[in-house]
Amino acid sequence: MTRVVPPELSAAPPALQHKEGWQQLRILAVGAEGGGSGGLLQSIRQWVGEGGTEIESVPDLPRAVRQLGAGRWHVVVAVLGESADEDLAWWVDTLRGATAAPRLIAVAHRPSMGLVLRAEKLGVLDVLSLPMSRDDFLRALRRVRPTSEAAVTLPDVQPHAVGQYALVGQSATMLEVYKLIARIAPSLATVLVQGESGTGKEVVARAMHLNGPMASGPFVAVNCAAIPENLLESELFGHEKGSFTGAITRKIGRFEQAGGGTLFLDEIADMSLALQAKILRAVQEREIERVGGAEAIPVSVRLIAATNRDLKEAIKQGRFREDLYYRLAVVVIRLPRLAERGDDLLQLTSFFVRQFGERYDKGIRAISDRALDLLRNHAWVGNVRELRNVVERAVIVATDDVLRVEHLPEEFRGEEATLPDRSEGALLTLAEAEARHIARVLAQTNGQIGAAAELLGIHRNTLTRKMKEYGL
Amino acid sequence: MTEPTLTPVRVEKALGLLPEIEALEPLRALLVSISRPDERTLWSSSGPYLTLGKRGVQPEELRHRMPQVFHTITEHLQGLYGAYVEALECQQRADGTGAVAALLRAGRSEERVARLNQARAWYDVALRLSQGLQDRRPEVESLRSLGELFTGLGQYAEAARHFQRALAIAEAEFDQAGAVAACEGLGHTALALGQGVGARAWYARGLRLAEAAGDQRQIGRLERYLGELARQQGEATSAGEHLRRARECLEAVDATEEMAALLNTQGRLEAQLGRHAEASRAYREALAWVQRVSRDAGLEVTIRLSLAELHLEAGRFLDGEEEMRRAEQVAIADNLTGRLVQIYTVMGRLRGRQLDETGFVFFEQAIELSRMLERSPAAVAQVYLEYGLFRERLGQRDEARAYLERAREIFGAVGDALDRDRVDAELQKITA
Repeated sequence: MTRVVPPELSAAPPALQHKEGWQQLRILAVGAEGGGSGGLLQSIRQWVGEGGTEIESVPDLPRAVRQLGAGRWHVVVAVLGESADEDLAWWVDTLRGATAAPRLIAVAHRPSMGLVLRAEKLGVLDVLSLPMSRDDFLRALRRVRPTSEAAVTLPDVQPHAVGQYALVGQSATMLEVYKLIARIAPSLATVLVQGESGTGKEVVARAMHLNGPMASGPFVAVNCAAIPENLLESELFGHEKGSFTGAITRKIGRFEQAGGGTLFLDEIADMSLALQAKILRAVQEREIERVGGAEAIPVSVRLIAATNRDLKEAIKQGRFREDLYYRLAVVVIRLPRLAERGDDLLQLTSFFVRQFGERYDKGIRAISDRALDLLRNHAWVGNVRELRNVVERAVIVATDDVLRVEHLPEEFRGEEATLPDRSEGALLTLAEAEARHIARVLAQTNGQIGAAAELLGIHRNTLTRKMKEYGL
Repeated sequence: MTEPTLTPVRVEKALGLLPEIEALEPLRALLVSISRPDERTLWSSSGPYLTLGKRGVQPEELRHRMPQVFHTITEHLQGLYGAYVEALECQQRADGTGAVAALLRAGRSEERVARLNQARAWYDVALRLSQGLQDRRPEVESLRSLGELFTGLGQYAEAARHFQRALAIAEAEFDQAGAVAACEGLGHTALALGQGVGARAWYARGLRLAEAAGDQRQIGRLERYLGELARQQGEATSAGEHLRRARECLEAVDATEEMAALLNTQGRLEAQLGRHAEASRAYREALAWVQRVSRDAGLEVTIRLSLAELHLEAGRFLDGEEEMRRAEQVAIADNLTGRLVQIYTVMGRLRGRQLDETGFVFFEQAIELSRMLERSPAAVAQVYLEYGLFRERLGQRDEARAYLERAREIFGAVGDALDRDRVDAELQKITA
């Protein structure tokens, strides 16, 4: 084991406002010995110089896992094998479970642009090629040192409590939503809540229930998209024993369970046309029939439906019944995306930090400015639900009273490079920028080439060619 | 302009259009392996309930990948035909041992693609041929192959019968490797039937034989089995000692997959002792061993499930769910339908702990998948058992009782007394 201090690192900005305050940088080099790596370990030792840094070398991933379990490491320098992509995924997975979340410098023979982009998305500190240059390595290493992070005190939030849920936020768009809820909750009108995934449709439905005339009755939620199509009918209307394979007992459906209360049909667009017809009948006639039953059962429920789809478009495509739409959309509430809610993000962050802080017994009172910038900079495809998940994870891993960049998921740490004040942020070539954009769009379309080509406005063959060219 | 993109077809619908014809099995496997969740679904309120049936598949992608499947099918058939021709050539040269080896190779090839009945047909022919040979080692090998096949099918009594015969012949012929393997098989079947004492006796006998032969890999493996057995019986000290010895042997011969399996057992032991950090470390190291040489997807799923269960025990639901989703991804990509059944059962259990009624979708998916499999009825019974416990947790007693009774019926039919007793105890709790 060698202990050395790189002169470049000593000259780097001091470890700023970091509670841990590194006295010594600990580097674990994996697969860096032997011919395959071109004497990488010796080079690293020379480059970092003498004193202050501890370098240890292990031959492979299993031994690295043992070392990672035995202490705190700041950096892992891993030489990837022939299946570089697969190796990278394993490394990211391994480091996710390691103490102190060490940063990964992946080293590969001729890394493709695809590998580099995937690595960036996964929050890998850097991908360097073999033979490795001294400057590249030291530049990567400098980025490991914690940057200055000033604490921003989290504001006190007064949420509108909705049972175990809460409506949080004071943006203009949300104030309009609150006003609408206040106006329509006291009636028995059927309501359609529209909004992207994770915008809080169920919370709004619960708020209407709790503030409406059926508040003393049950609130029953059914997620139409989650339930297998062949079971949804019996879930909604119930069934008699033996009416189909698997009907092992008589079942009371959700319509009946919600009697005297509210039935919330979430993701209503994910329902077959045949079932839509049955829902329409239940709404119009206020009675249902259990599957396999002959008796009409009267039901008295307030119906609230929700969807993240454009139902009018679904009607045009013949996927949704127009008559049902007009029955459900007596009143329509549209929920804004998180990106449209301005500083509600800070309010929501604060609310979730306190909620999870209580659950996991953590006294977090602030968030670093840099972490907040990353949250503000994020695309939030999953809206508030995604934010909630990110904050929960961050609270779990936080060790003191401030949430920092290191507590955010790896992909956020990857996004750090996109923040405006990064001194190391090099300008991109046109090809690099194009490759990054294609990778982003592909991620957005979940790898579906046709959809990505449509978004990019190019032919799918052109996209396929470019993907091949950039190794995506 | 680009052509409009059509919405992917849901797997539940796609499978509904696929007749249950054996020749279409590779197409079904392809369909499952290329299925993807919709990005919008991932963050929608149905995201946490996403199962295989709700993933999407693009027919165009299926068409695009078909040549790859045809190639794999051709390769598989070439292997089978080649093995048969080789067996014939061996017959021609009066090399019965070689002929049996070729037939067994064909059977294993069938087993690898989960065609268990076809594998059995090859092994039956191999056994018949081997019984006429002077050298009896091929017969031991054929019996062992059949024993392992029946174990996989959950037909433990039949498996034990084949292993017993293999052992008797191997000992008479001084075939030490064959005898050790037969003891291992007998240990597994005894364990599956809940006969802990019998299992220990078989493993110990196998260990003595392996030690006499000085085979470090076999010694390590048997020590691991003894360690696992001791762990299951709550004998932590003894388990730890067996596992330590196993590690010494297996690390010395760099037995990658064996090391991964050993560390998985070690993790389970640590978890049982409440040492969660140590357990987590053992599982992570186990995963690293899986990655090191040839990736064994089945073993990876087993370890990820162990890790997920560890998180669940510690109340870290978010981590547990993430680990299960990774396991699910591996199982789908490698067409490990049986493992998906296990994964969805654990996911259902997680939702049960969160008192989330919609969690029933995982059990329904597990039951649906297990119907598609040629696999152990005991595995299906496990799903019913967990489904019953899920319903019980939600206070739905009638449904809980119905599922538990079904589990009891299946465990009784396969002779799994241990699990049947467990179900009885749960049924009594409901009635009380």
